[in-house]
Amino acid sequence: MDAGREERPHNIDFILQALFCSKEGAAQVRLKIGLVNDDAGHNFTFTSPQAVALVEREKFKQELTNIISRNRSVAPTPAPLRPSVTPGTSVPPSNAPTPRIQQLARPSMSRAQSVASDSRRSGTPSDPTGDYRLRKRVLLSNAELAGLHKELVIGGQITEAEFWEGREHLIAAQAASENQRKGKSGQLVDPRPTTVDGETKIVVTPQLVHDIFEEYPIVEKAYNDNVPKKLSEGEFWKRYFQSKLFNAHRASIRSSAAQHVVKDDPIFDKYLEKDDDELEPRRIRDEGVDLFIDLGATHVDHGETGNLKDVTMQAGKQKAVLPLIRKFNEHSGRLLNTTLGEPSSKRRKLNSAEDERYAQIDIEDLRDNETSTSILLNMQDRERYFEGRSAEVGPAAPKVDIRAAIREAKVSLHDWQGNLVRLKMEKKAADSAVLAMTQNVAARLDVRMRTSELPNSRVYASRLSHLFAIADDIPENIFRQMTTCQTAANEFLRQFWLSIYPPPHEAQLSSVTTPAQKAAKATKMIGYLERTHERVEAIVRSAQMEGVDSSRIQVAMKPILDSVDKALAFWKARSSNPNPRGAR
Amino acid sequence: MCDLKRTLDATGHCVLEMPSGTGKTVSLLSLIVSYQQFYPTRRKLIYCSRTVPEIEKALAELKRLMAYRLSCVETDEERQKEQSFYGIGLTSRKNLCIHPEVSKEKKGVVVDARCRDLTNAAVCERGRQDPGSVDLCDWHENLGKLEPGNLIPPGIWTLADVLQYGRDNKICPYFLPGQMPFVDVIIYSFHYLLDPKVAEQVSKEMSKDAIVVFDEAHNIDNVCIESLSIDLTRPMLDSAARSVGRLGDKIDEIKKTDASKLQDEYAKLVEGLQEAADNEDAFMSNPVLPEDLLKEAIPGNIRKAEHFVAFLKRFVEYLKTRMRVLHVVAETPLSFLQHLKDITYIERRPLRFCAERLQSLVRTLELSRLDEFSALQKVATFATLVSTYEKGFLLILEPFETDNATVPNPIFHFTCLDPSIAIKPVFERFSTVVITSGTISPLDMYPKMLQFTPVVQETYSMTLTRNSFLPLVITRGSDQVAISSRFEVRNDPAVVRNFGSILIEYSKIVPDGVVAFFPSYLYMESIVAAWNDMGILNEVWKHKLIFVETPDANETSIALENYRRACDNGRGAVLLSVARGKVSEGIDFDHNYGRAVIMFGVPYQYTESRILKARLEYLRDAYRIRESEFLGFDAMRNAAQCVGRVLRGKTDWGLMVFADKRFARADKRAKLPRWINQYITETASNLSTDMALTLSKLFMRTISQNPNENQTGISLWTLEDVEKAQAKQKELALQAQQEQRDAAMDEEDEYGDGGIDDSMLPDLDV
Repeated sequence: MDAGREERPHNIDFILQALFCSKEGAAQVRLKIGLVNDDAGHNFTFTSPQAVALVEREKFKQELTNIISRNRSVAPTPAPLRPSVTPGTSVPPSNAPTPRIQQLARPSMSRAQSVASDSRRSGTPSDPTGDYRLRKRVLLSNAELAGLHKELVIGGQITEAEFWEGREHLIAAQAASENQRKGKSGQLVDPRPTTVDGETKIVVTPQLVHDIFEEYPIVEKAYNDNVPKKLSEGEFWKRYFQSKLFNAHRASIRSSAAQHVVKDDPIFDKYLEKDDDELEPRRIRDEGVDLFIDLGATHVDHGETGNLKDVTMQAGKQKAVLPLIRKFNEHSGRLLNTTLGEPSSKRRKLNSAEDERYAQIDIEDLRDNETSTSILLNMQDRERYFEGRSAEVGPAAPKVDIRAAIREAKVSLHDWQGNLVRLKMEKKAADSAVLAMTQNVAARLDVRMRTSELPNSRVYASRLSHLFAIADDIPENIFRQMTTCQTAANEFLRQFWLSIYPPPHEAQLSSVTTPAQKAAKATKMIGYLERTHERVEAIVRSAQMEGVDSSRIQVAMKPILDSVDKALAFWKARSSNPNPRGAR
Repeated sequence: MCDLKRTLDATGHCVLEMPSGTGKTVSLLSLIVSYQQFYPTRRKLIYCSRTVPEIEKALAELKRLMAYRLSCVETDEERQKEQSFYGIGLTSRKNLCIHPEVSKEKKGVVVDARCRDLTNAAVCERGRQDPGSVDLCDWHENLGKLEPGNLIPPGIWTLADVLQYGRDNKICPYFLPGQMPFVDVIIYSFHYLLDPKVAEQVSKEMSKDAIVVFDEAHNIDNVCIESLSIDLTRPMLDSAARSVGRLGDKIDEIKKTDASKLQDEYAKLVEGLQEAADNEDAFMSNPVLPEDLLKEAIPGNIRKAEHFVAFLKRFVEYLKTRMRVLHVVAETPLSFLQHLKDITYIERRPLRFCAERLQSLVRTLELSRLDEFSALQKVATFATLVSTYEKGFLLILEPFETDNATVPNPIFHFTCLDPSIAIKPVFERFSTVVITSGTISPLDMYPKMLQFTPVVQETYSMTLTRNSFLPLVITRGSDQVAISSRFEVRNDPAVVRNFGSILIEYSKIVPDGVVAFFPSYLYMESIVAAWNDMGILNEVWKHKLIFVETPDANETSIALENYRRACDNGRGAVLLSVARGKVSEGIDFDHNYGRAVIMFGVPYQYTESRILKARLEYLRDAYRIRESEFLGFDAMRNAAQCVGRVLRGKTDWGLMVFADKRFARADKRAKLPRWINQYITETASNLSTDMALTLSKLFMRTISQNPNENQTGISLWTLEDVEKAQAKQKELALQAQQEQRDAAMDEEDEYGDGGIDDSMLPDLDV
């Protein structure tokens, strides 16, 4: 394919990750592009006459290298790559016209922000909860939820929006994690040679070149000085990897042992610096350090006293390690600086606000928690809360006289020791009671696990259900019926209460519905809930047919039925007395 | 706090161990300050800490405390009283200099010398008479123009504040505190009180009833020993010899120009040393001379300047010849003096005055750039020390640096073996000395070593609503190979790899900062190299940044700062450093700066060291402390010190990993402070790496839950709780009279006396 052809604009959503070129002098002039989500990559062969092709490829290489390095420094994690479901995207076949690479990553975004990883701050334009894509991802990653979704939404019992109402945090979390960008890898640039057929080889990729330049500016300088006038590119790298300079740059102290095999190199030895292995660093940085962590200040606080430290406690005895250690510190510092920018200047630090200094010595728990004895209820949106309540809260709970209650409790506990002694349990009854209790607890736990949306809950729940099933000899299909019935009922309950009570906080404003809608929804849910009893009955009946003790099923389903009953009772009370609060 | 009060009333000494990060400093300060303010005598507080960062922190806490007190006062009279409260910190010229050129100097000694050149009395005199003839320090001059005693408004001045004040008003921050008439609280480092050379100048005018607090005092015995020990090397002696030569030249020169000066000095010396001492710009001062000696006249044979120079020359020559010996020599000061006398006819008495005489001479000659004389200074100090003390010291000559070195590099150690010698004047002079730290277990060791009888000796455990730290002892790697930093196995690849995998695994699971401590610099350096070659560090780089402590203090500070930035940023970092090293002293790794501390190996001292051997022997003979006991105690206090740095406050949490087989032994663990030891469960005391990881993960999951669930009542007491506890105490012992006052003020402090009653129930008031 002719690389020189007019380029056709092409929208391509993929991220360049690596770039490979065929050797100079090879039969074909090729360029290979590695993609983040596609290890195979794409090959481009330049079909012009070799000389022209080389030049052309060089041009592409330059451009692509820049893009790659930019991509790398701001590349998002490979996993949440924009999925190809987005309409209008097409991944080009390898023989497609020369693609124009579109920058997916936003290079202007500072990395500090990306660390903050807050979807709202990093400026996601649309409301994440409305994002179909995000929803899908959440469902994909959570099979339990997906099952529920399938049953309720696709089954047409509740709408999509209703389903997600109250689950906004899942979508927000998903959005946040997608927005989080991977920082630069912390590893040192340390090209290790590979031995092929007795010949040591280091593969120089444009990426490696970029990394080396960034890590060792001195090499870049050497490169600029010498290439292409004195040395060709290939020659330059060949000599570099054989030079003392390279050995000095390698992050190994073994390199000093290899020193004698290294040839002198008039070009590179010029750039060789003395090993930074004195006790004091060669490069002295005149930076002010916060007095709270200034170790040097202690050092000069008083005259030297005492005997010399023994030999193991003298720092820097092993000279060969010092450059290595310094390199670690510098490398880490540099990585930090690329992320956070240069540390603030000396002046600012010395004048740093009093508060900041206090914050460092402050011990949180030694703070007096304000003098008031009662804790003020601090509510967001207090007004709205009361407004909402006045419209729809049922009869207030009976007032409990705490004193009376305590007195009562005291009276009832009177002589408890005697009572306890007198208490005798029949073995069988006790056993069965304990068993019932255990089952009850297990069932509750099961419910809790299912409804709680922790990522792990699924695992636990399945494990638990497994145990449960074995322990109770409930056939698998009955058990599955039970669980679906239960989760569905739970979901209905959740929706019901959600429509009754005002939304917990403002962040969910997106799903604000009018009271009328809510009422309608509540009615609908009640309709569903009323049917729960029937369903349970059905399960019990089928269980009986299978020959399973129906009482067990009943015990297992009891908690959910109880809560359903409660909801029903509440609904009944409310509909008979439509506006209790308002009347008051 | 009650114990402290008891000590103050009883005017005795006390040893207190309080868990680190529970507000030790602030509780000490708050009691003492209110004590000071309550009694009209206003006993002065001398608060000693170990490092400058700690001094600065203590000052900041004091400042905050005073602000709080000020906000609580009721009458104007009280307000006046609180406002007139002075608190300052002292440190060296290097740390406080704001002279544009001098402050650029890197070495503290050089700054001192240049500062003296610009500010000493003689130069000032000349400069004032004839402006422009000599360089003067403007900042110091401005200070002189102000009225003494009125230089700085009352209040608490942290070091940073003083610097800023100096800059704003163009006056010298270093000389500022020196001119203060009365200060209520002084905060400085141990050395200023213990090192006789410095103490003479700084702490002389402290009144006897001052309260002395040694905070972070777990290493106080080492500081004591250091302050009286001295090393001499060949280059030092050469430099001293040159200095002697220069002194001689200078004397000849002065003789021609201004002979009367020397004559004056001679006359003064006849009268006695005391008169000659002019404290304002003392070049060096006398290392502990008994009072009567100071009153004596300088012996005749060194009174004349040229005689003294000849005397010094002879002494330096003698030391040089001693250094030529190629085998190790250990001798007592007495035998050294005898030998000296036999060979050079130098007597003991003039030797004792050596330091004093040198100071006098230097002042007379008005020498500049005194830093070049520092070697001679050392020799003179050595002479004085060696001739003053007979017991508790040893001279060791080591011709070779290590056992297998072939090139001689002789070092003449004059080493103090008995820490009680240096601290004795302090105990004798001040009525109340408080020694406190987070880690000074076992408590009885300190009174034994420092030779004093404490009135109160107490260790407090920590009361926690939840176990906010998890100590783990890892004894073997996942491959079941025992890990240990024991000398024989420490470089075994299996051990090194297992240590490495601990670091990798923890850098994977722990958020933010991880701090790793090694027993020595040598070991750290070799293991860092080994890890790098094994690719272990590459693995760590994937998860966290790596910072390493370096020999240079400044460089390390910068690394430390970057480390903190990395932790704040969320990138997370690993800091590799050394127990007993620079970082382990006085840097807190609280909250996200240290979520886990890994102690690789037991930080024993290097037992082949001759100085240590001598010290152990002395301890055994003089105080009946067994060698192994002391070594174990010393190692464990350092280990505890390292791991104790993670905690600060009860909302903080951290992992403490002890990675060595030997930590599993009960006798080792018994030496840990109680507040750490009580949380080491039997299961956690003998783990392999993978087991420890499981426990750590579990711990981190539970600890990351909401910490603020009702802490009050257990570890945090409200005012009512405190009052209740007091009422109970009163019934038990009808002696508390003033507690009410203390408690009212310090309601936020916990007593930590183990009285964890369920105070919520009685609150219900049935």
